[in-house]
Amino acid sequence: MSMVFRIAKEEWRLWLRSKVVVMAALIVGTLLAVTSVLTINRVAEEQSQRLAQQVEAEETFFAQPDRHPHRMVHYGHYAFRPPPPLAIFEPGVDAVTGQSIFLEGHRQNTAMFADTKAAADLGGFAALTPASLYQLLLPLLLIVLGHALFLRERESGTLAVILAQGQSGVTLAMGKMAALLAVIIIFMIPLIIVAAYSVSLGESPLGALSLVGGYFAYLCVWGAIVLAASIILKQRAVSLGVLIFMWLFAALIVPRFAINASSAAIDAPGKIESDLVMLSEQRKLGDGHNAADPAFQRLQAEVLEQYDVETIEELPINWRGVVASYSEAELTDLLNGYAENRMSLEASQSRIFDLFGLISPTIAIGSLSRTFAGTDLATHHRFLRESEKLRFDFVQSLNEVHVNELSYADDMNRNADAEAARRAQVNSEAWQVLDEFRFAPDNASERIGRATISLGVLITWLLVSISIVFLAARRVRL
Amino acid sequence: MVGNLVREARFLAKDGGALFWLGLAFLLSIVAVSFGVAEVRDQQETIAELVKEDAADRANALKGQEDWGGAAYYAFHLTHAPPSDFAFAAMGQRDSSPWKHRVRMLALEGQIHEADTRNADFGLVGRFDFAFLAASVAPLLLILLLYDLRAAERSARRHDLLIATAGSPIQLWFPRALVRVVALLLLLLIPLWGASLVAGTSLDIVLKATAILIGALLIWWLIVELVSRVNASPSVLLTSLIGLWLALAIIVPALSKAVIEVRQPLPNGGEILLLQRETVNDAWDLPKEATMTPFLEEHPEWSAYATLEEAFEWKWYYAFQQVGDQVAAPLVNQYRSARLARDREAGLISFLSPTSFVERSFEKLAGTDAASMIAYEDAVRDFHRQLRDFHYPLLFRDQPFDLNTLKDLPVYAPTS
Repeated sequence: MSMVFRIAKEEWRLWLRSKVVVMAALIVGTLLAVTSVLTINRVAEEQSQRLAQQVEAEETFFAQPDRHPHRMVHYGHYAFRPPPPLAIFEPGVDAVTGQSIFLEGHRQNTAMFADTKAAADLGGFAALTPASLYQLLLPLLLIVLGHALFLRERESGTLAVILAQGQSGVTLAMGKMAALLAVIIIFMIPLIIVAAYSVSLGESPLGALSLVGGYFAYLCVWGAIVLAASIILKQRAVSLGVLIFMWLFAALIVPRFAINASSAAIDAPGKIESDLVMLSEQRKLGDGHNAADPAFQRLQAEVLEQYDVETIEELPINWRGVVASYSEAELTDLLNGYAENRMSLEASQSRIFDLFGLISPTIAIGSLSRTFAGTDLATHHRFLRESEKLRFDFVQSLNEVHVNELSYADDMNRNADAEAARRAQVNSEAWQVLDEFRFAPDNASERIGRATISLGVLITWLLVSISIVFLAARRVRL
Repeated sequence: MVGNLVREARFLAKDGGALFWLGLAFLLSIVAVSFGVAEVRDQQETIAELVKEDAADRANALKGQEDWGGAAYYAFHLTHAPPSDFAFAAMGQRDSSPWKHRVRMLALEGQIHEADTRNADFGLVGRFDFAFLAASVAPLLLILLLYDLRAAERSARRHDLLIATAGSPIQLWFPRALVRVVALLLLLLIPLWGASLVAGTSLDIVLKATAILIGALLIWWLIVELVSRVNASPSVLLTSLIGLWLALAIIVPALSKAVIEVRQPLPNGGEILLLQRETVNDAWDLPKEATMTPFLEEHPEWSAYATLEEAFEWKWYYAFQQVGDQVAAPLVNQYRSARLARDREAGLISFLSPTSFVERSFEKLAGTDAASMIAYEDAVRDFHRQLRDFHYPLLFRDQPFDLNTLKDLPVYAPTS
């Protein structure tokens, strides 16, 4: 053991003497600090802004004056998705999806005002986050540090001495591994600080810990790859070239390739496309604004029978409200069917994308990181579902007010004159039906459960790469 | 010189490492343009399909309408920006900004910000298109091809001997590097040229794209040349070059982006929406003059027809839709001009980063840059104005309803 420690110490002494290595480490460290501070500030601002907007939207809804209940259905409401605590490290899909959604009767809108749409366009890597630094830059740093871990001994002839002293290749590899591991642990410190801070913001310790664990595993995979290359290859420049190629491949090429491939494999129609298909079906449901629509004849017969009356005027409830409520339910069913279909297609696209993690650990950690942080596509989908539920609930509650608290006669007469219009209003207390909406990420164990594929892929990478190191180390000859 | 080049080409043919990088470049270029061509075809098919279904849907919606207001309310109109004949090389903003909308006569601000975007994971990672290959990957390949020309000979201890035999260092290194740069360039360009033929790209654009790539590779060649004159080991050279690449491709763009976005703040999008919404909704409860006065200020030509007699009239309804847009207009203009300002500053900064510059130039050629997307939004606004111009006479003059008149509804025609 002391031998392992001594080898590691020697490695560190060499690194600390090398200007290139010290410079590289300093630059990466500074970048990490700067981006972390910037991201933490931005996310904190978004968090409080969106929460304030949510509260404000609710207050304005409650403060609306007396009016016709269907007007409130069209007045609508907003749902905001505040970033979860770990978004300070991994902002995830938030920048692409937008974060606010307008909710109104008879429609499902999309989230709006995505940051990317208005961002200054400076090419592919301009959106720097702490997570992308860990995913892209730290592996490169490990390559710079470690590509010659073994080769240096070989080139300077010390390998022969060490082997002749009776030390095995494995001991030497363990020493080098310990040195590299120390580097990885040092570079985990910023992440650990950010994760601890996220716990203070309300993140569960388990969620924060799994994020830290995921990145530690990811960096260990790269450390092992780097060490394996330095053992197997016989020239320093070749080792560096091969490792840089692997980085180029894993970090830049495969993720983008996987995006193209998974979107080609599964065609997920856009919203307009599926809306148009849906519209022809929707037309059969009838227009909820038009109580005389033939589509509602059967409903009318049923309701008349239920209340045992002959005409809709005799009903104790408001027939127009009944139609509004009935058609909203039917339409929502239809809309949800199409929305679910779109979301499940997107989810299967992302599953294919995740499988490309088998040839690029960067994909695996990217997916893990978004899932653990609660900023992944699945969380966005849940936001869409929950805001849809909020929409449906308030629209139907208002329709219920329409049914029970506004007489059919007053309703039909509402356009006659000002007095008639006033009679067709209900008291604004009825607007209290709106539920408070506070979107929160899944709890940590659900997030971890959702990350099974990527987690499995990353662990496979870890096992395979470490095994290769040991196999190669056992066969070290001169 | 020709003899030197032929000799170097023969050397290159035996250099396994170099051949690997060159083969990779060729392969990636083929993959990038094939994905691009397929995606463009896909988008064109989507648009063709949408145009058809949109017309059918509109005909369906108009059937059975009984007044101008109802017809205007239920008729949606598709607007779209077709991909250009060079979009296969750079999808740019088409992945994050909408390029299709369905709009109707209601307040436009409630409609135009809808984004029919795709799987969010896609926008996040970005796609592998030729612009990305040329901007980010090609420089790395060039670095890998050139960094150890001198240093390899140096570590093989042939360097001084070679120089002595060759007469001057220039005669030795220049042809060797030139052969590699030209090979890389051609292998990247041939698939691009092929795809341009398939896509029917104009020669002018192909030449410009070629020039951009040549320029970019020359700059990187110069960088490699300057760095590799330092008498250091190959791995130190490579490390330094990768460091430079990181600085130019990632750090400069990311820092500039952060600075630009602080310098040019955007009005909050939600506020635009909220303001427009509140205006439209409040109108129901306000005296009708509160709507008609600001409306008639914009449209004095309807003053004579603007008397309202009934509690609900369509012309009043559409007037308050328009007033909703009018009230939001200052914020909307601010939003638009801040986006343009950000793009302008990004354009200036991109001179500091060859990767940003190449990617932006390709997007500009392909009509997929921010300015093109804003131009599309302007076209949608323009079309919406045409819709209003078509409907207002019908609504205000109160002529008897006739479905045939609606055959002359404006049709959206994409500009490019």
